Amino acid sequence: MDLFDVVGPIMVGPSSSHTAGAVRMGYVAGCLLGEPVRKAEILLYGSFYATGEGHGTRKAIVAGLLGMKPDDYQIAESLTLADQRGIEITFGVARLEEAHPNTAIIRLWGVGDKSIEVQASSLGGSRINVDKIDGIDTNFTGECPTLIVHNLDQPGHVSEVTSMLAHESVNIATMQLYRSARGQKAVMVVECDQEIPQEALTWLNQVEGILKVTYFAGIS
Amino acid sequence: MTVYHSLQELQDLAEDRGVAVWEIVQQADMDASERTAQQSYDKMLEMYRAMKEADAKYDGSLLSASKKAGGDGEKLHQYNVSGRNLCGDFVGKVMEKAIKMGESNACMRRIVAAPTAGSCGVLPAVLLSYEEDHDAGEEQMVQALYVAAGIGKVIAENASIAGAAGGCQAEIGSASAMAAGALAFLQGADAQAVMHAAALSLKNMLGLVCDPVAGLVEVPCIKRNSYGAVNALVSAQLALAGIQSAIAPDDVIDSMRRIGNQLPCELKETGKGGLATSESAEHYLK
Repeated sequence: MDLFDVVGPIMVGPSSSHTAGAVRMGYVAGCLLGEPVRKAEILLYGSFYATGEGHGTRKAIVAGLLGMKPDDYQIAESLTLADQRGIEITFGVARLEEAHPNTAIIRLWGVGDKSIEVQASSLGGSRINVDKIDGIDTNFTGECPTLIVHNLDQPGHVSEVTSMLAHESVNIATMQLYRSARGQKAVMVVECDQEIPQEALTWLNQVEGILKVTYFAGIS
Repeated sequence: MTVYHSLQELQDLAEDRGVAVWEIVQQADMDASERTAQQSYDKMLEMYRAMKEADAKYDGSLLSASKKAGGDGEKLHQYNVSGRNLCGDFVGKVMEKAIKMGESNACMRRIVAAPTAGSCGVLPAVLLSYEEDHDAGEEQMVQALYVAAGIGKVIAENASIAGAAGGCQAEIGSASAMAAGALAFLQGADAQAVMHAAALSLKNMLGLVCDPVAGLVEVPCIKRNSYGAVNALVSAQLALAGIQSAIAPDDVIDSMRRIGNQLPCELKETGKGGLATSESAEHYLK
């Protein structure tokens, strides 16, 4: 555990899990979309749904979508700000079973042609976990530089990614592989100790069989 | 590589190397995070200054989302300056700052989670009051914050700092232990006395449940920051007098973990027991 998760983070109250964690969930989801949000559908589950109103959970998730960090004073005004920017936002209840009590499903549509569905949970403190992307299981926190690659389930793509990282002297902290079904779409989640240069990401995006490259530099 | 997994290890490292506890905590942070000494120090200074700013920006006219919390810090301030202050200037100030920070948190103001948002008032209350009343320098206060963070990290790794996992003893209890250790350090205690101040503090908070009304970080959380802060003062005073915890500091932390596991989930931040299910609680949001 990082020392500054014990004293810190600097955040807008009232709850590290229901407010700061919720901002981080929105922030990560927004980064994963990879372009400005046009429309968002936010579904809350468990404690998030039951006590979210008093904790500002909805405002917090929207604030994250707008690119705010947990210490941003404008979190309380996020719904108004989103409205001013013409972003269409709806809330609802997530019908899940056996999910973490602080879970949200965030469906996003961008100003271009991108869209994504992110399921994430707030673990306590302000730490979060991204549980699913577009219905495929994932398991990462967003605390370190994270690379997410959607690719066709074919031989060689893992090696392309790891070779690129080795070439850029980026050390892999954790690596997870998922696929919807054999030969279909696969997702690779790579948490790293160093940031990945933009040109390497651009190169990766052009490799045949790589469908989508998403990267964010980490929350803190 | 500087690593500690218990308060005993933290104490031993400081004693063996002949340095202060805060230096071990800083070195371990540098080793774990690849931050330089300056980067680590600057980040801790940033936390301290954010606490100071949050205290200065308290607004007694604000109300929380429930419209029920706010303004008590101002009431306490008025009483403290009325000339009839029962607890004395320093203790009165500590209580006031703790409640103010707890209210600021409930009103969606910017605070420093230490270790959590719900317990964010304890540490700044004792540290800021100490700096103001004892003419301490900012550098000393940052060092005290390292001591607190080191103690909190050991508690987080061996027990918990989340109410949902361990009850309020894990939040206000941990904050109070961190603050007690920091205060003992500021008053010149050696490494052993610092650990015992933390242990005495946590020991008195064992068993405290997390039963927030309507699931909000308001009742009983805000006022409990004040109690946690004063508990830290009592514990530091005991330790500075040379009084030790009969139960070893790390055993107190382990006891907190076991008690937390034995607490029913109704009393761990679910709003399904204790104060949260009292008759008054049903009327709280009405």
